[in-house]
Amino acid sequence: MTATAEPLAVAKIPREGKEESQFQIVLRRFMRHKLAVAGVVVIVVMFIGALLAPYIAPFPRDAVDIAVATRPGPPGTMSSAGEMHPLGVDHLGRDLFTRLLYGARVSLSIAFIVVVVSELFGVVLGATAGFMGGWFDTFISRLVEFLLSIPTLPILLITASILIKTDAQLPLPAFVTGFVSWMLAAPPQEANKVIVLMAILILLGWTGAARLMRGMALTLRNQDFVEALRAVGASNTRIMFRHIIPNGIAPILVNASLGLAGIVIAEATLSFLGVGVQEPTPSWGNMLSTAQSYMFQHPWLPLVPGIPLCLVTIAFNFIGDGMRDALDPRLKR
Amino acid sequence: MTAYLIRRLFQMVIVVFVVSLFMFFLFNIAPGGPLTGLQQQQRRITPEEKARIRAQYELDLYWPVRYTRWLVGQPQGPLVIGGQEWFANVPMGCYLEATPEEGGGCADYVYLSEMPELHPPIKSSRGILFGDFGNSTVVQAGRPVWDLLASRLMATVELQVISLVLALVIAIPLGIYSAVNQYSKFDYTFTTAAFVGSSMPTFFFGLLFILLFTVLAGRAQEVWPWWPTLPPGLREAVRPYDVASWLRVQPGTPLDRFLHLLMPVAVLTIFSVAAWSRFLRSSMLEVLRQDYVRTARAKGLVERLVINKHALRNALIPFITILVLQIPIFFAGAIVTETVFAWPGMGRLYFDALNRSDYNIALAFIYVTTILTVVATLLGDILYSVVDPRIRY
Repeated sequence: MTATAEPLAVAKIPREGKEESQFQIVLRRFMRHKLAVAGVVVIVVMFIGALLAPYIAPFPRDAVDIAVATRPGPPGTMSSAGEMHPLGVDHLGRDLFTRLLYGARVSLSIAFIVVVVSELFGVVLGATAGFMGGWFDTFISRLVEFLLSIPTLPILLITASILIKTDAQLPLPAFVTGFVSWMLAAPPQEANKVIVLMAILILLGWTGAARLMRGMALTLRNQDFVEALRAVGASNTRIMFRHIIPNGIAPILVNASLGLAGIVIAEATLSFLGVGVQEPTPSWGNMLSTAQSYMFQHPWLPLVPGIPLCLVTIAFNFIGDGMRDALDPRLKR
Repeated sequence: MTAYLIRRLFQMVIVVFVVSLFMFFLFNIAPGGPLTGLQQQQRRITPEEKARIRAQYELDLYWPVRYTRWLVGQPQGPLVIGGQEWFANVPMGCYLEATPEEGGGCADYVYLSEMPELHPPIKSSRGILFGDFGNSTVVQAGRPVWDLLASRLMATVELQVISLVLALVIAIPLGIYSAVNQYSKFDYTFTTAAFVGSSMPTFFFGLLFILLFTVLAGRAQEVWPWWPTLPPGLREAVRPYDVASWLRVQPGTPLDRFLHLLMPVAVLTIFSVAAWSRFLRSSMLEVLRQDYVRTARAKGLVERLVINKHALRNALIPFITILVLQIPIFFAGAIVTETVFAWPGMGRLYFDALNRSDYNIALAFIYVTTILTVVATLLGDILYSVVDPRIRY
């Protein structure tokens, strides 16, 4: 909490004559939301853990420790070779702390990739639709309405379960697979399966951003500064990417931050039900799924992936809440 | 309003049509379906036998043909007009696929004229539009899907109705109280708790409940025999069991059912309460700022009457639409919660059907759920304009 106390104290010092930049105002207002700042701390810690997973994990990801007698073994299990498993081992004898770190990498990477791609998708489509109008606007609006009017969870489940059973693969250039494989810290064959899962989540997830951005573009395109831009000869593309989108980005940031929590939950739920990330790729969801079968004898097992999962979803939600307050132009100061 | 309704109804039909078509396309690329299990059991299965089994599940037909047969029960055979058969030799599917040595493609087509013989009308569905959902293929092979769905419906409705009523009874007073006492200590605690509650994943909440009230309570019971535990899953027990040393429960009794309901109902209720009371709080805050509330206070009305008669009624208006959107849940159930607690309801049936490739069940479930969802959305929009005359379509 020392990290939060300092900026708060700074905020109370009266400023003399010096104008604050927009960013400083937003930052100061965000810092006032203590739970959101705590959320940032949680996410940063998890993020560092995930990023350094290959270096700080005490064991290789899928290594089965045959020297452990009890499987699953409780936190602090010692193998007969004298090695310590800080969070215990799972039913196969794999180190849970290691799987947890790699699981964080997988779960957070999926959330970040899905949210970034679907927000980009939504922003560009929504801005174009709102700015251009015409048949494209009608098409996008109908598509969004359609995606919002279908029962999401059953359709998500059915699509994921069938595509995972079929071993479907997307025709993607090698560098995409390579990048995702690095993000997940998993071999490319495993990355391919996760890419399919991410594609499904993206296809159902871009509608929020598109709707927000379309609304913003509709109001912005009739304002005087757009007229002025046209008068000085700016092209449509330039107006859209340099002026419309940056002006409407604030609600998108809030939406993205809440979206991160949503995707973490969605991925965990799908993996828990067995239609998301597949073993041996670890994710918090599929760790919980195996933990469920052993929890009657080993009650600590679901807590190992469950507590970080809850912390992360709550943290993302608090950050989104804090950003909403900080970016709200109706709240002054 | 009429033009609006007609347009909306038209859009609804399209949504249902597109969703069911997409599902059929998905099933088409799904591997094997009912054949998956067979191939695992008997590796040495001749192509002829495989073709026969494929035909039994209508998998020899092309997927658009399967789709129309599923939707309206057609085509059943060649079109007979004036005693003459039309389109008799249009291929409808592939009975026997050619091996790669023969050059691939199809060795034996199914022609429209062969349909009455290969797929007799008695064995096929009359079409989902005429209320025939076909038969289950794996979960309870041969049983009509509609019958199977109906047998599970009560368990889901029971769970949903109880948690809905409980959630309303808790959420409305909570939301109102915290709005009326905005920025009080209670309000802060409550909004934070509701926020945390609504941002946790449901299934982990369910696991946590089982962990606390079954697993850890069971450990406590070993030390103190009077300590009660809860049954972790299913709707009723199979054999008598001990809740605590002082209570033995017989399976199927009201007490047994009550104990099994406790945890799933609690999980569903907590989530609804967290979401709805937050909504009600903000809606109530909005109303309390209105002029007519100030007028009511200015004319000397007791605060209790201002809140209950003037503010609350108006604050509940937007909430109605949220409640209407719950309609599909009464059919579809809470898939995740039902799975965690092994509750024998619709959601779990759907998930079982998916896992075991029983696509007739999955299709019927998606079809009905989609219809209910679009109807509920329309109903919500209509109700909104009824209760709030400022909104016109």
